[in-house]
Amino acid sequence: MQLGGVPGFRDLLPLEAEILREAQESLLAEMRRWGYRHVITPLVEAMDVLDLGLGVEQRRRLFKFTDGRGDVVALVGERTVPVARLVAGKLRTAALPLRLCYAGPVVSTEESRFQHRRETYQVGAELIGASGSVADAEVIALAAKCMEATGIRRYQIDVGHAEFFHGIMDAVRLPEDVKAAVRTALGARDFVGLEALLEDTPLRSAEHELLLRFPALRGGLEILDAAAGLVRNERSEKALAQLREVYDLLTDHGIGDVVILDLGAIRDFDYYTGVIFEGYGPDLGRPVAQGGRYDGLLARFGRAAPATGFVVQLDLVSEMLTRAARPPELPRVDAAIAWRGAAGLRGALRVGSTLRLFGMRAVVDTESRSQEAARNWWEAVGAANLIYCADGSTVTWSARGQRARRLPPEQVAARLAGGIA
Amino acid sequence: MTTQETVSIAIPTGVLLDGARGLLATSGLAALSAEELGRQLLVERERVRVIIVRPTDVPAYVDYGAADLGIVGKDILWETPGSHYELVDLHFGGCRLVLAVPNASALDGPQTWPPLMRVATKYPRTANAWFEARGQAVEIVRLHGSVELAPQVGLVDGIVDLTASGRTLRENGLRVTAVLGSSTARLIANQASLKTRTASVQSVVSRLREASNHAG
Repeated sequence: MQLGGVPGFRDLLPLEAEILREAQESLLAEMRRWGYRHVITPLVEAMDVLDLGLGVEQRRRLFKFTDGRGDVVALVGERTVPVARLVAGKLRTAALPLRLCYAGPVVSTEESRFQHRRETYQVGAELIGASGSVADAEVIALAAKCMEATGIRRYQIDVGHAEFFHGIMDAVRLPEDVKAAVRTALGARDFVGLEALLEDTPLRSAEHELLLRFPALRGGLEILDAAAGLVRNERSEKALAQLREVYDLLTDHGIGDVVILDLGAIRDFDYYTGVIFEGYGPDLGRPVAQGGRYDGLLARFGRAAPATGFVVQLDLVSEMLTRAARPPELPRVDAAIAWRGAAGLRGALRVGSTLRLFGMRAVVDTESRSQEAARNWWEAVGAANLIYCADGSTVTWSARGQRARRLPPEQVAARLAGGIA
Repeated sequence: MTTQETVSIAIPTGVLLDGARGLLATSGLAALSAEELGRQLLVERERVRVIIVRPTDVPAYVDYGAADLGIVGKDILWETPGSHYELVDLHFGGCRLVLAVPNASALDGPQTWPPLMRVATKYPRTANAWFEARGQAVEIVRLHGSVELAPQVGLVDGIVDLTASGRTLRENGLRVTAVLGSSTARLIANQASLKTRTASVQSVVSRLREASNHAG
């Protein structure tokens, strides 16, 4: 028997589980404050549904199997496609725009290059049925506030536009096969290969220069002016104008100082159709949040609608919090309640439920103990206080570093609650 | 974000070490003596922190963000594609990845290949992809050292290995029948470093790019 579990799937022990759960709750709470409604989609989806929404590579990485009726089903690898199915299906009569959020594990057959996990946790939000810069900015601002809500202090949001790239690829004068190679090189972030491809072509245009300088096309509003001076195609020009609008709106949202415009953002360009963005925290080699506009997806399910959204990688948030200068601690149990005899047990159960009413964490012992043995048990539980009940009327209360005192049970509860408040 | 942040750069031990050391010196970023590198694996200078690691480990250091930049042979990148940016061809450490067979072997062009070719290599991913693209069934034997020995003792039909001058191949009675690719040293960058510490990282990148152009 493998007590360690299946490779790529792992247990989260109390500290890690608590950090992850709290981060998830903070994210969902922030999304709720913006009017996003929580939906829960299943862990398993029909393969023909996923086929409609996912690219070849994503499909390849799904855990697939057949259910009892012979239909091929898969464990979800992301939840935007299930949400799209929901909006085009059960929610098809709901008026647009819809604001939805979700949380849950996703599974991949391949271990991620980082952390070697095949099961990861994601929290996401989708704004479906709204086009335009105001919707784009809302989702980006929400992503920024979500990063803050989890307790990440320093972060940065990179904002780009898929159409800027599409416009350049339309305008650049290259044979189709070279264009395909250019896309591949960019997808692999291989700028040496890209340079070699473009060097061999006779016609040098402004678009050539833009492609070669892709990773450096970043900054504030000045980068839009610089790019506007170089592009000569409508698609890219429109993208630049939209980015300017979104940037202004983000300033009005109060997050202008964390936004960086990134015209060289490289993402899945077959999927994204407009403004795209990534959120980075400190000292982690990859983005914590990713999202953008995907106006093409809903139509594949028969309910054409513009849409934008993002996903937060909960495992990365949790890793960032764990490795912060002051990592979170596992909240302590407030009171260990030991007892002796039937009367003691009755008192112990009463004290326990009173403390819990005040929101404290209280553990009641499962067996009768002497006062001396109770102190050892207290150590093992690691609680802040020991309450020992030997009869119904008074209890012995010990706090760390203090002399034990005999008090009526109500007074102990009141003092503990007061101390905590 | 200031421009004075220290930028960390991973450089490989082995054949590329002298080239990397020369480049860091020419660019004015760090003059490191061979003796100094023999003593320590982490050298701090005013603007850069140099980390000396095994060649195959460079992508890991960069992908995880432990190093902002890395100098690594293209041959390593073929085998371990990651999430880094490949920014500059540094024009040193040139070599070729070749298919070599024993001098006496009848194998030459694709038409002479057996239905199932058996090949020893330290580059299983690259070799596999190359044969697959040519419709050739191949059995890869992954070896970690002295690959040249394998065909001589009948373990495999040929080898896919890196060669600079071809001398080792000749000395082991092997000849080149095909070239899978050419490799030089590359400058790679962590995706987040490039985005969150743009100014300081880009300034180091331009200095290295300039130094490599002067050298090349």
